Amino acid sequence: MNKPDCSSKPSGSVSRRNFLKTIGTTAVAGAAAQAESIAAELQKVDAEKIQGPGPVPITLTVNGKKHDLELEPRVTLLDALRNFLNSTGAKEVCDRGTCGACTVLIDGKPVYACMQLAIESQGCSITTVEALAQGNRLSKIQQAFIEEDALMCGYCTPGFLMSATALLQRQPKPTADDVRHACAGNVCRCGTHPRVLKAILKTAGVEITQKTEVIRYADLA
Amino acid sequence: MKPFSYATALTPESARELAGQEGAYLAGGNDLLGLMKESILAPKLLVNIKPIPGFNAIEQTARSWILGATTTLAQIENHAGLRQAFPGLHQAVAEVGSLQIRNVATIGGNLAQHSRCWYFRHRDLVCWKKGGDTCLAREGENRYHSIFTGCACISPVVSNLSVVLAALGATVHVRRGDQTLKWSINELYAQAWDDPSAHHSLGSGDLILKIEIPADSRRSAYLQASEKAQFDWALVSCAASAQVDQGRFSRSRIVLGAVAPAPYQVNEANQMLDGQAVDEALAAQVADRLLRDATPVAHNQYKVAIAKALVVRTLLLLRS
Amino acid sequence: MPTWPKESKFISKNIRRIDGPAKVTGSAKYTSDVQPEGCLYGMILRSRWPAARITRINLDKARQVAGFRAAVLVREGERRVRYYGEELAAVACATKQACQDALRAIEVEAVPLPFVVREEDAIRTDSPRVWDDSPNLSKAGLRERGDVTKALADSAVVVEGFFSTPVQVHHPLETHGNTASWTDEELTVWSSTQGIFSVRDGLAGNLNLEQNKIRVISEYMGGGFGAKFGPGVEGALAARLSRAAKAPVKLMLTRFDQSLAVGNRPSSYQKIKLGAAADGKLLAFELDAYGTAGIGSGGSTEGGGGGAEFPAPYIYQIPNIRVSHRGVTVNAGSARAFRAPGHPQASFGMESILDELAVKLNIDPVELRILNDPFEIRRKEYQLGAERFGWKEKYRKPGSSPGSIKTGVGCAGAMWGGGGGGTQAEAQVNPDGAIEIRCGTQDLGTGTKTVIAAIGADLLGLTPDQIAVRIGDTRFPPSGGSGGSTTAASVSPAVHNTCQRVLEELQKVSGMSDVRGENWKSACKKLGVNPLVVPGKWVEGLSSSGVGGVQFAEVEVDTQTGFVKVKKITCVQDCGLVVSRLTCESQVNGGIIMGIGYALYEERVMDRASGMLLNPNFETYKLPGLADVPEIDIVLLDMPERGVIGIGEPVTIPTASAIANAVANALGVRIGSLPVTPAKILAALDKSKATA
Repeated sequence: MNKPDCSSKPSGSVSRRNFLKTIGTTAVAGAAAQAESIAAELQKVDAEKIQGPGPVPITLTVNGKKHDLELEPRVTLLDALRNFLNSTGAKEVCDRGTCGACTVLIDGKPVYACMQLAIESQGCSITTVEALAQGNRLSKIQQAFIEEDALMCGYCTPGFLMSATALLQRQPKPTADDVRHACAGNVCRCGTHPRVLKAILKTAGVEITQKTEVIRYADLA
Repeated sequence: MKPFSYATALTPESARELAGQEGAYLAGGNDLLGLMKESILAPKLLVNIKPIPGFNAIEQTARSWILGATTTLAQIENHAGLRQAFPGLHQAVAEVGSLQIRNVATIGGNLAQHSRCWYFRHRDLVCWKKGGDTCLAREGENRYHSIFTGCACISPVVSNLSVVLAALGATVHVRRGDQTLKWSINELYAQAWDDPSAHHSLGSGDLILKIEIPADSRRSAYLQASEKAQFDWALVSCAASAQVDQGRFSRSRIVLGAVAPAPYQVNEANQMLDGQAVDEALAAQVADRLLRDATPVAHNQYKVAIAKALVVRTLLLLRS
Repeated sequence: MPTWPKESKFISKNIRRIDGPAKVTGSAKYTSDVQPEGCLYGMILRSRWPAARITRINLDKARQVAGFRAAVLVREGERRVRYYGEELAAVACATKQACQDALRAIEVEAVPLPFVVREEDAIRTDSPRVWDDSPNLSKAGLRERGDVTKALADSAVVVEGFFSTPVQVHHPLETHGNTASWTDEELTVWSSTQGIFSVRDGLAGNLNLEQNKIRVISEYMGGGFGAKFGPGVEGALAARLSRAAKAPVKLMLTRFDQSLAVGNRPSSYQKIKLGAAADGKLLAFELDAYGTAGIGSGGSTEGGGGGAEFPAPYIYQIPNIRVSHRGVTVNAGSARAFRAPGHPQASFGMESILDELAVKLNIDPVELRILNDPFEIRRKEYQLGAERFGWKEKYRKPGSSPGSIKTGVGCAGAMWGGGGGGTQAEAQVNPDGAIEIRCGTQDLGTGTKTVIAAIGADLLGLTPDQIAVRIGDTRFPPSGGSGGSTTAASVSPAVHNTCQRVLEELQKVSGMSDVRGENWKSACKKLGVNPLVVPGKWVEGLSSSGVGGVQFAEVEVDTQTGFVKVKKITCVQDCGLVVSRLTCESQVNGGIIMGIGYALYEERVMDRASGMLLNPNFETYKLPGLADVPEIDIVLLDMPERGVIGIGEPVTIPTASAIANAVANALGVRIGSLPVTPAKILAALDKSKATA
């Protein structure tokens, strides 16, 4: 079997020109109604095209807005967000999919942006922490994080908020164990865990109490 | 990562053609991108196989369940039918990594993942699996490594799913050249036993197509032991399956993970269970037999005790 | 003499963290987020050898890489490297990808040298020397009091043990890093730091610049825990790259870098003998200890506090002691101050051996501690905590819990200094009533901004959100670095003083006798056109130092899998005046959870044969996750009469000791080595079965 040269089209795939020749001029002429299916077919042809290694046109839909970029295939989604779109809510902490600080939603599902390539994230709806508030109005979970002090340095917070937001969309009334399971992939070094748990459950309408008390030493026997 | 080209595939054939000898398949990407970021692997071309239509389909037939290779672990975790048919599979998949990982990780990728040995994964160390001729773990830091150490490389298989799929007698369909091979889980990892440079039996260009799990009224159960409560690799994992009629086991399998290059089972141990009403005493005997040939290394003797405990617990869980 | 208000609306209350909204919306810009126009990225080339003579570093091919802009060497000419990961050179490029390509293109010629990375190897006289002119094992530092040999002989009971703690890595989530930007001869640096002035002055020295030519900014930073003082090698490299490239350069370390080269807590190996009278009064303490601070053993490193010694016998004032400390140098990254430097190590040895004594004497461990504790506050904390925790009900003979899942309890105490001084602050009061309080201090997530807002609000009769708090800029009045749990005690009195003077000045200008609260706006209006700027500084009487703290732990140990589940921690902690309750409690949670990591999971693993770090990532350097965090019960002892003291560090000291004691209580056999892993538990149980 021939080893394909990666810079050329692999044998057997259909080139754009050949495809148009095949479907014929008549079909193209009557294009209006068929335009969409043709576009889809063309997209299929493009799909098997080899792109890169240099920068290629990539369109990312982030928080409802389309962005046209020129990125190398090796650029991760996290890198694209932070360093090409100036969307710095998602943080780079480990770059290995082990800590969750870069958690974004792709089609509503929490994923590690550092372990997704930007080029494979096209055609999806990407949501970052910047989308949670509506103008000045914080979302319920954001408000709860502030009220319960579920943040300290704040570096893990965007990631936790995305995991929590997705959880509450899937499961409006999670148990404490559901929350732990959903946020197992988010690491915090400052130790906000008890309050993260409390804030998420509070948003779901479940009050849990962490026993804390301030006692005046002078009142002790 | 080093630079690479990228293509998406729409059929398994074009995936294989695109990837050729110098490309790699990109599914979930957790394993591949992790290795590429350390420059341990540097394929010149990544072929995204996720867009292949139907490649992530979960299908139930009269005699089996068929999972496409790019079925995500989250799909498996959330699938009610699979959960009911194979509780052990559900238990195993729920413990893989974190939700963020499971949302993109695929069953094919999980089975095909490379060693997690910290010598292998180190950017500046060379061992059997990186073109070298030593196992650095054997005389080194081997707390997480195999306890069946006949192979020159003592890195164990860590796929949770491989253990339970072995217990369930699953078949992995692999496209190699013009052929579709149908491998048992044993066969999928057989080469790792013999060849210290191999992670499994897949060769360059081989593409996992689907995983077929026979639906033959077997029960299944899975447990693992780790250092942390969640988001942690198993120190030892264990899966059991059997047909259980009025408390008696038949067609039993008890399999261990993270202890050997492949999911580990012993026919004699399996047969000890058949025809029996399994109680703690029998389970302990089975555990002893299963671990009888363990040859742990300096820092992982403790895995033998954990393995025995998990065998007993998993069998009792299966029975209940 | 200034005093804290007796009645307060915000001080000691649950006010919300004022930078919460910025952090939850993602709008807070940390050093890693700052993106000046035309900013380049910086990356560091590190040594692949644990010890070597570097003979040549060739940058030629790197300069050819697309996107390359500048490269600098850490040092010109031949040089030695002494640990895997030591910095060699750095590049600045247009993208991170180009940086990676450029680093790969740098050619390094080196002669590998012998190395040693494990303490037990390094203490041997035949081990390779890390530093040519001194042995790896330092001379013993000795402290003696009384006659320990006689006292041991006279003791009714003597217990002995060997205890060890690992090298622990800080791992703040935001790595070390700086964005450096030059205009003419002036340098602006956004720095992820605990000490903006330490960065400024360190760079001034490094680059031969005057201190007034450098401005350091750190408005938000993602954690430090003691590792982020001074510019570090990476800060100087960022500045030099920026100057060479004539463009801003952002150089953030990777997690790999972070694991190797920017600090850690030294290990400890402790041989202890403890002698007591029959009633439990401690008579004699003998310690033979060593530990490694990497290549920096015994010396001060970035910010100091990195040495391997620790204050044994810790809390207890034992009349006869002999304490011997030795540092061990190994070819590994050097230590830096890490949240309560030395104290967790001291606590672990002392509290473990104390429990052994309690068991041998058949005295309740809490009673034994109260009997020997010289600090009244902490004795009361033990009493209060024991009752709240349910100690009497939960404490049973070691190993007596039935079944294969055993429960146990343990406790331990802490001591810390805290206290503060030296801070200056200023307030700008505007004619429309808007007030800004400025201080060149830092907020690591510790809540400094909120503390300032609470104080300002109470003293001026305003609400916290009416006060704009500005910190983290060397153009503001100076404050010390945020370490030693001194920030609250340094900043609070300075802000108090500033606000008092604001009131005095505003009263003068306005002619009003009370300018607070509802009079504020009209008083400010009388300023006319120009704002009022009022300086203030730290004054005596509003802070002090010296805290205690105790923690109780309840654990469940699966004796078949070795899995430890911490079920509950109860903490009773004093910190003087609780300025901001919510953020104070968060510090307690944080310290305890860090202590859980130290107790059960964290360990820097060095490979003996290659001299390399095996776990430079979060996969195998394990931090507690949500599911690993137990119920945490916190009692803050409010002591306004002592003024502000500080809480960041005492709360992480006794946690691992209490957990290890609880595990020993559960199992009836002790694991004297942190982290307490399943491997160690099963080995200990196996051994005890064998000898039974």
